[in-house]
Amino acid sequence: MENGLINLTNWLGNLLMPTLAGLFFAGAIWRFSKGMHYQHLSYAGVASLMCSGLLRLLESFAQQGAWNDPNRFWLSILALVNWVGNVILPLYGITQIVLMALHFAGLLERLTVGEAWIRNFVTALCCFGLSGILRLAEFWVQNGTAGVR
Amino acid sequence: MTLPQIISELLKLLFDLAIPAAACTLVLAGLALRQEGISFQGRFQKWILWSVILLTLPQFLSGFAAQGIVLPPQSAATSSSWVTSMETTFNSFVSGVLLARLVPVLAAFFILKAVVDGAQGHSPLSSILAAIFMLSVSSTSQLMQSWNSGSEFATTDMLVSAWNFLAGNILPEAAGLAVVGAILNYVRHKPVAPLVGSALAFLSVSAIWKLVQTMVA
Repeated sequence: MENGLINLTNWLGNLLMPTLAGLFFAGAIWRFSKGMHYQHLSYAGVASLMCSGLLRLLESFAQQGAWNDPNRFWLSILALVNWVGNVILPLYGITQIVLMALHFAGLLERLTVGEAWIRNFVTALCCFGLSGILRLAEFWVQNGTAGVR
Repeated sequence: MTLPQIISELLKLLFDLAIPAAACTLVLAGLALRQEGISFQGRFQKWILWSVILLTLPQFLSGFAAQGIVLPPQSAATSSSWVTSMETTFNSFVSGVLLARLVPVLAAFFILKAVVDGAQGHSPLSSILAAIFMLSVSSTSQLMQSWNSGSEFATTDMLVSAWNFLAGNILPEAAGLAVVGAILNYVRHKPVAPLVGSALAFLSVSAIWKLVQTMVA
């Protein structure tokens, strides 16, 4: 039973989901070409490549205390909150700073991907280079397994 | 009082059939797992409990004997050929027909059901889990027998071992499934937080149990 479950989990997390990532990226490109929100499927593609990493992240949250420590669940929630507050929010803040600079410079107004010809050009580039995009995302994810360098 | 030969032989037959009967109850547990899904509405636990009782039947009854209740001996001095024949027939049926042929077919049917469930927009997980459970009935029975402490508390000891196995081995793997489910839910614009929360809870279920114990103490 245990072997069956672990093989099912491995198959889903390490084989099927990374394969589906390609489909999600393709869906994101299609939505981008139609001028619709594409971020959702892009994030889903990256998350599909990171199944094992996300599980390891949750495991690291859950292993903040001994197995019989009554505070372990609270410590795991605390670790989650710390991670969101000290890792995710600063990263999000950096992207906001970059966007602020771009908006201030007026770059996004002049080169908006909302314009049809740019959108079509970028879509064509992505269509021709989907494998490359997937390899790039895999490269980022694999680099992430070694930690920040 | 000396028991009649036929009664003692029937008792021996029933005791000898306990382990094959436990395999049958495990198969019934697998069927219940498919019907109830992972919501565990009671029938699955009932059949698992019966499996535990059957696997620890001699120790279970020795508990009564320890309380002063006189029980008949669990093995007859000699066995008639018809008792041996019935035992052999039942064992052959369980190992040769039920476990070797019928259970794989049922598991294959569950896989078909999983595909149909997926086609109808339902989760195929219940059927896949039931198929895995069915295909591992023999090994699960052997695993449960290895948990038999041999004492008069063997039944409860086996249940404790089952809980430890569930909390230490099965639930961390379920956390991986929950992460995959959370990503799929995210793609389909369905709630993600319950699955992420349950993955975290699966990974720390022993600690939650200790927390509740501490609250009660």
